[in-house]
Formats: sequence, structure tokens, C-alpha cells
Amino acid sequence: MDMRGTHSRIALLFFAFLFVTRVFAQDILSKKISIESKSEQLANFLQTLSQKSGAKFSYNPNKMKSEQPIQYKAVDKALGDILNELGDLAGFKFELIEGQIILLPEKRKEKSANQTATLSGYVRDQKTGEAMIGALLYINELKTGVVSNAYGFYSLTILKGHHSIIVTFLGYKIFIKEVDLNTSQQEDMRMVEDPPFLSTVLVNETKPDPIEETQTSKIDMRPRAVEERPALFGEMDVVKSLESVPGVKMHSDGSTFFSVRGGFRDQNLIMLDDAPVFNPSHLLGFFSTVIPDAVNDITLYKGNMPASLGGRLSSVTSVQTKKGNDQRTQVWGNIGIVSTKLGVEGPIKKGLSSFLISTRFSQIQWIFQQADPSIKQFRFYDVNGKVNFKLNAKNRIFLSFYTGSDDYFGGNNGISWANQAATFRWNHIIHEKLFLNTTLSTSNYNYFLYADVANDTKWNSRISNFNVKTDFSYFIKPQSEITFGFGVSGYFFNPGNLKTRVPNSAIPALSIRNSVEVVLYGNHAIQLSKHWGLNYGLRLTSWTNIGEAFEFIFDKNHNPVDTLFYKKGELYTSFVNAEPRFTLSYAINEKSSLKTSLARNVQNVHLITNSISPFTSLEVWLPSSINIQPQTANQLTLGYYRSMPKHRLSFMAEGFYKKMFNQIDYVSHAQTLLNPLLERELRFGTGTAYGLELQIKKDEGRLRGWTGYTYSHALRQFNEINEGRTYNSFYDRPHQINLMLAYDISSRWNVGMNWNYSTGAPFSSPTSFYSYQGQEVPIYGEKNNDRLPDYHRMDVSATLKLNKNPEKKFHHSLTLSIFNFYARKNALFINYNKQQVADGSIKIPANVLDNDRVISQYYLFQFTPSLSYNFKWL
Amino acid sequence: MVIKQPIFISWILLFLQFGCEEVIQRPIQSQDTNVLVVDGIITNEKKKHKIILSLPYKNLNGNPLPASGAIIEIAEGNKIYNTTETPANSGLYFTEVFQAIVGTSYSLHIQYQGKNYFASDSSLPVEPLQVLGYRKINDNAYTINFAGAGQIPNFIEHQFNWQNTPVCTTASCKGEVFFYDLKTIDANEAFKSGKANFLFPLGTIIIRKKYSTSDSYRSFLRSVLSETEWRGGFFDVDRANAPTNLSTGAIGFFAVSTVVSDSTVVKP
Repeated sequence: MDMRGTHSRIALLFFAFLFVTRVFAQDILSKKISIESKSEQLANFLQTLSQKSGAKFSYNPNKMKSEQPIQYKAVDKALGDILNELGDLAGFKFELIEGQIILLPEKRKEKSANQTATLSGYVRDQKTGEAMIGALLYINELKTGVVSNAYGFYSLTILKGHHSIIVTFLGYKIFIKEVDLNTSQQEDMRMVEDPPFLSTVLVNETKPDPIEETQTSKIDMRPRAVEERPALFGEMDVVKSLESVPGVKMHSDGSTFFSVRGGFRDQNLIMLDDAPVFNPSHLLGFFSTVIPDAVNDITLYKGNMPASLGGRLSSVTSVQTKKGNDQRTQVWGNIGIVSTKLGVEGPIKKGLSSFLISTRFSQIQWIFQQADPSIKQFRFYDVNGKVNFKLNAKNRIFLSFYTGSDDYFGGNNGISWANQAATFRWNHIIHEKLFLNTTLSTSNYNYFLYADVANDTKWNSRISNFNVKTDFSYFIKPQSEITFGFGVSGYFFNPGNLKTRVPNSAIPALSIRNSVEVVLYGNHAIQLSKHWGLNYGLRLTSWTNIGEAFEFIFDKNHNPVDTLFYKKGELYTSFVNAEPRFTLSYAINEKSSLKTSLARNVQNVHLITNSISPFTSLEVWLPSSINIQPQTANQLTLGYYRSMPKHRLSFMAEGFYKKMFNQIDYVSHAQTLLNPLLERELRFGTGTAYGLELQIKKDEGRLRGWTGYTYSHALRQFNEINEGRTYNSFYDRPHQINLMLAYDISSRWNVGMNWNYSTGAPFSSPTSFYSYQGQEVPIYGEKNNDRLPDYHRMDVSATLKLNKNPEKKFHHSLTLSIFNFYARKNALFINYNKQQVADGSIKIPANVLDNDRVISQYYLFQFTPSLSYNFKWL
Repeated sequence: MVIKQPIFISWILLFLQFGCEEVIQRPIQSQDTNVLVVDGIITNEKKKHKIILSLPYKNLNGNPLPASGAIIEIAEGNKIYNTTETPANSGLYFTEVFQAIVGTSYSLHIQYQGKNYFASDSSLPVEPLQVLGYRKINDNAYTINFAGAGQIPNFIEHQFNWQNTPVCTTASCKGEVFFYDLKTIDANEAFKSGKANFLFPLGTIIIRKKYSTSDSYRSFLRSVLSETEWRGGFFDVDRANAPTNLSTGAIGFFAVSTVVSDSTVVKP
């Protein structure tokens, strides 16, 4: 055998094989195929690809993440190109070996600038142009998404190509935007409202917000939910609606004071367009200043605030007002028993700029004047206004203001208080991934007690604030967002001084205080993997007092031993605090998640009052200073969240433990008014609160609402109070049940109901008495040793839309509300010092020889019906 | 001068008529409080001054148990005034006749059941009484017009007696009403609860005594009122025990005061 010839033949055959194989390979790789996958698993997709191309694929399914969903579309494209693109998407490379296409895992290439593009813009209401805060934009195939920020802005950096962006927001139809993303582009999403009665039963395929978001203790309160809630005298009220939120405890009927997770009432910050509102109440607290008609978004953080927010220990409620309809003019209003509201909004230049102005004024003065002609003023009002201008695609400015006042004068005396707030905001898109918000805001709260109107003798306390802050949001990629910023605030405090025209008046002077606060913060929210999410941040605050002021130094027995005077502009007493915030989430599956968070909060403004009244009463504020250390709180939260999309239900369970330091309480019968040595009356200690909050919620459909149960405790310990023993805080009410329901009977009839229950509030009841000058003086044992009777109340409402034709431009409705439907007598106070006089009324005895005192209880509002007329002209 | 006017803001009360107050039955969470209660005031009146010692009681309208058998001394510098319990076991202790001097410090020493209690106070001057004002309410019922006056904290005790008038048909035709003018600004006082109207007939003899109050006495009275006359309004303060100037755990107050007085017969 000619071996050389044999070798030659073998070589020839080998090369022929190689040639054929190569030709085959080139043939197969250049074979053009059309294929599409919306969310197929990689393994299935490769199988389809194999069937269509005739190619055979070999790979290790354990290393190739063969279960990952693939969103891919190719039309008449070569298999080689398809595999290259697919490899980029799914993280593999391929080699052709002996007719087999071998797929090898490869670290997924970083999506370089030329492979990805950024889709950014705003999510807005189509009819009004209002920003949709917290709307979820989701790409199902990529299993990724983003939530629009506090200004409605979003930014999504994703692979170039065709995408279906699903946008969801409660109460709105699901909006799907098909986008061919070849370069970075701006795209506003405009959503259409979905009236609950007409809402189509669509199961939302995207993961609901609470499950997805790496955030605990956050409540989004829709203005519509507030409007649907039965209200006292038909006055819809944002602050009072918080009473239905687990973990929030209202002081009592007729009050806007509330406690969040065992904190004191001054530990809650209410911000109206980023400006603080120090006293959100009208009519002593019967109504709050924040009306839902002018509100676009309400978010309550129960202690676990993002690093951008702070300044209070227990909660921040951020209320964003409407910017005004930029598409068409509309007028709306409401006529109730107590007040009338009127609002106008519309475009200044359609789609580019708009305005909103709303006002509310009371109309009860004449009623009271009929009963008591000495009444001169008995009124309140508030005005909200906002204008905004879209300067260009990247710049938008807003100017908003709020002013409100209460004036109650009779005879020669009276009380009055006023809130003013104004905000200028500039939203700037620096880059499609970088959003800037700069805010200038100011707020002012004045309280007057007129002791002698004729001589202009009045007691006045005031707190005001000016704030400049800049916030940056950097959307690195979907589910990875950095926010950072800084702010400077100036504060002015007048803790209550008396002014008079009476000559030779020896009036004690209280030190006016000025302070400046500098805040730096950074926050990073990132989805680490399919299951894990992390949100961490740090807020640094520096608080410094500035002269001109004087401060007292007290010895350990609280006696003043020195007075320090500070010149104008002189800096003194600084506090620097770090407030770390940390949340970790674990998605158990697409419907449930576990989260834990740890947050530290610092508070440098303090309400000084020993009043136990539910009503607004001569408020005094003081800053952290020589005698008052900043209040601090550490809160640990653990939560479980579950959505039941088939039933459109969501469930939340959150446990919390909160430790509060430098809490303020008072020496017995502290003198807090006109007392230059006011700080001598204060005592400092710790607070502890813990509990479990459960809530089931249904936001959509004809039947909406939620029910919640809270078990919690709030305790306080002060070395110099209650002989150092721990005692129940006034807000320690272990059991709380909330039920709130709204139901659309038809397209015209809607009914609402809410029911609240809580354990009675603690108070100190006498354990014995002694006689002094004929007075029966109580002796108290343990502080807060007793409790008021349990509180519960049901309110109902029915609304009839008077329009038969919903297409008409003029919409109007009548609402009948019944507050305290079953006329429960919920005690505000229990008294041990009164007598029943001949006409049956309960009075303080005048004659100390009388010995017929009784135990009595005072309560407000039994069965209280009201009717209000609402209208809207579109 | 601290500006202080009694502020009766009727319209606030009017507004709050949405509410209602009613008598309830509720047990008192009583505890044994076996502390000594001192109710004593000496004045510039030349008389036997009374010191009342008692023990607390557990129920409303209860009768204080007298703390008898105590030895009480009042010291004015080196001078000691002794007391006598009269009648026996009454808890009422009377000094010998003397009058307290304005600005002088007086000390109280009590020996009771093996314990020693101490207190001291001194008086401030008192301003003259204003003319008593009263007004007719109906045919034969009058009421006092109370109004603060002057600059110095004080209170006025009004003793009413119409036993010698034809309208006196009951066993007791007497009354005692206090008007406090402590010159403080407190929300719980400004918005205090309504007080019963004390009515008296023509011919009633009204004896008024105006007492000055030292700073510590005023502070004590302010606390007592916060728990009694000012309690039950709409701006109540946190409940707490009234302070005391007595040592060793006793409660109440030993006060020294300057007094002016007058008497009036109510005429049409």
C-alpha cells in the first residue's frame, strides 16, 4: 500500500470534511430566521431556535441559567447574529465544533453605552397633566422596573430594542407603551383614570409596589380615599383620615393631634409641598388645614423615612398639592355646614404651564353671633395656590403657597393663629439619568392670645423657618437609584412673649432664639438580585444656635445659677448627628416579601406644652440648645408583605421596636407660658414603643378599603417623674382596630363607612383626696394609672352623583355623612371636681361648703349628620 | 406688672356645646395614702390662728379624718407660739392670740406620731379691696361680680350669711366662695370650666377677706386650682400632685398672709 497515497487521501478527506463542515457551519450560521420570544425561558427558546434553524445546541443547563426569561425578536436575521445578540442578553458565547454549536457561559457583558439607552420622562394624568408619584413602570420580559419619584420623574436604562413598558398606578387604567429604544429618549407616560365602578377586572401582572419597594413603614394615602371617607360635618380631612392607619393614634375626637408608634404629637412633621406646617388645625383642631381637593399625593412614613426626609422622630407626612390642570380649566367646590370651598385650575399655556387656586372659608360666624352677640369674629379660612411653568423639556418651575388663619374674638379677648407656607421648586433634568430638584421654602406659624384687645395686650408665640435644599436623583440603572443632596434651614423661635400698650407694664421677657440647620444626605436603593433588595442611606444634620439670645444655666436642683448672653450673630451650642437608614428586603416570591429596616431619627425642634387637651392651645416651640438636647430615636422594623392579585388584596404585617431618648416631660403643673425660666420646668427621659401592625387592603374595584389591627405599647421613664418608675404614655393604647370601606352601589351611588376602635387612653385618676380651704384636692398615685373607657366610633356616608349623564361638563353630587353613627359617648375627660346643678348641667362648685361632687365625663359629637354639596365644572 | 385679666371666653364654650358632660358611675382606684395633711394659714389679724391637721380620704365628698394628738409650734424668730387642739381629737389646732408681721418668716414645726414636720413662709403686703359688686339675677337672688384688681397675687374669701333673713328656710343659710387672682397666665385658667352661680338673697351679710400670697404659696394654690377649680375645662394640663412646703412627706401648705377685710349687707 502506498502509505503516502493513503495519507494524502486521509488528508484530503479531512480537509474535505473540514471544508464541508465549515461550509455547513457557515451555511447554518448564515441561515436567516425569524423568531420571537416575549418571555420564554432560554431553554425553550433555544429549542425553538434549533427547530427553526436545524442547528444543534450543546450547553450545560446548570451553568447557562437556562430558566432565565428571554425577550427577543428577530426578523429574517442570520443565526450567527441571533446567537451573538442572544449571548449578550443571556450571558453566553458560542463555538461551532464539529457541527455542534457549543454554548459556553460568559460573564454577561456590561451593557456598554452603545448597547443600552435610557428612557426617561414623567408619568402624568392624561386629563390634568398632574404628576403621578409612585407610578410603577415595568418591563415584564426583563423583570425590571422603576417607580416614578416624588416629582413624577422616571429613568430606565435598558438594552436597546423594542420594549413594552407597562405603567400602573392605583385607580388608573394600565398603560402600555411600546417603545423602540435605539437612542436615549424622553417619553412622558400619560395615564387615564379608571373610575372604580367602571374599572375593568384586570389582574395586574406586575409586582405590586409594597412587595417591590425596599421600604418599610410607608403609607400612600390616595386623595380619593380621603374623599370617600365619611367626615365630620362633611369636611374631608387629610390629617384626620390618618386615624384609620394602623400605628397612628388620634388624640381623641375633635383633634388633629396624633401619635405615630408611641411618639409625642410634635414628633410628626407635616410638609405641604416641602414646607413644614407647624399647626395643621382649624377651629381648635376640629378640622385640619389640609383639604384633599387640592392634593395630588399624600405619603406617610412611620419613622423609616428615606434619608432625604427627617427632622422628626416619629413620622413625616409629605403632602404634594396639585400643580393645576394644564389641559383645560376646571372649577370645583363644596358647600357644607361649616365651610365653603372653591377651587379653580387650568392652563396658562396649554400643556406647558398651569395654575391652581383654592380657598376655604367658614360660614359659622353668624350662627354663633345669634347665640352670643358679643362674638366679634368666629372664622377660619385657608388659601392654596400654585403655578408651574414648563420652561423646556428639561426644566420646570413651581411656585406654591398656603395661608390660613383662625380668628375667634369675643368681648375684649380672643385667640388667633395663622400658618403661612410658600415653596419655589425647580425641577431640572441634568441628564436622562440625573434629576435635580431645588426647593426654596418658607413657613411661619403665629399664635396669639389677646388678653385685652382694647390695649392690644397679647401673648404671641411664633416659629418660622426658611429652607433651601437641593436633591439629586441618579438612576444608575433600573432598580438602582442614588439620591443625595443638601439643605440649609434657618429657624426663628419666639417661645411666647407678651406685648401691650399698657404703660409701666413689668412683663417678663423670654429669650428669642435663632438656629440654623445644615443637612447632608445620601441614599442608595438597589435591587441586589432577584430576591434581595437593599436601601441604605445616611443623613447628617448639624444644628447651631445663633445670637442674639440669652440662656440660663441651672444646677442639679433646677435652680438658675447663671445667665449667658450671646451677641447678635454669635454661634453657640452645636449638635451634629448622624442618622443612618437601612432597609433590606427579601422577595420570597413574586407575591410576597420580607423586609427589615433600622432607622435613626433626630429632632431639634420641640413643642413645649403640658396640656392634655385635644385642642390647639397656646403652642410654644423651642430649639435644641444648652438645656434641651436633641431628641433621638432608633427604630427597628420587621415586615411581611403579600399581594393577592386575583382578589386585588394586599396584606401587610409590620412589627416595630422604637427607643426614644431625650424625651420631654414636665414638672408638676409646669408653667409653660410667659416663664423666662421655661427650661426649668422640663424633665428628660426615655420612651419605648413596640408593637405589631396588621393590615389587609383593597384599593381597586367596586368595594375598596382596608382593615387593620395594631397591638402596641408606648412607655416612658423619667428619673424625676413617677419616682423614676416606668409609666404608660398617653398614647399607650394597646389594641386598635380600623375598618374603612367604600362601595359603589351604581355608577351614581357610593357609600362609605369607617369604624375605629382603640383601648382607652391612659390618664391619672385620683387614689384619694384631701381637704384644703374647702377644696377637695386629689392625690395621685402612679402616673397614668387609669384609662378612659375604650374608644369606638362608626361613621357612614352616602354620595349621590346628581348627573345622569357622566359625559356632561358639570358634575355635582350630594354627600350625606353621619359622624358617630351609633352615638357612642367617647369620653375626652373624666372629672372628679364638679357638681350637678339645678338645671342638670355639670359645673365647678362655687360654694366650698357644698359637698356634692360627682364623677363626670365629657364627650363630643354623638350622632352628627351633615349634608354637603360638591360640584366640578370641567 | 404682669397683665392678667380673667378671660371668660364664652364663645369657646359655646362652640364646644357640641359636646356634653354627664354624671357617670365609676369606681375610684383608691389607695391608702397615710400622709399628714396640713391646712394652715396665719395672718396679720390679731386672733387665734387655726392649723388643721387631717388624713386623706378615699372617696369623693369624704370626711377627712382628724390627725389629733400632734404638737404644733409656730416660730417667729426666737419667739414660739404654741397651739392647743380644740375641741379634743378634732384635728383643729389654735394658737394663742398674735398677729403675723408682713415680711417676717414664720416656721411651723409639727410632731405627730413620732415624726417631725417643718415648713416656713412669709407674707407679702396686700392691696385694698375694691368695692364689692353684685347684681340681681331674679326677684330675690343676687350674685357677685368677680373681677381681679391690683398687681399683687391674692385671693378673696367671701363668707355669706343670710340666716337672719326671712328667706332662710333651710338649716344652712351660709356660703363660702373663693375668688383667686394669682396673676399668672395659664391656658387651663383662661379656658376653665363653667362655675356654678352662687346666689344669695337680699339682706345677706358678706364678709370678705383678701389674702396676699407669697411666691411659694401662689405656686401651691396654682397647682391646687389646676386640680380643682381649673380642672375640667378644655385646656387641662397633665394631672399631678400639688407641691407642698412641708417636709417629711406631709402634704398641704403652711402659709403666711396679709389680710384686709370688709363686710357688706346686700341691699336692693
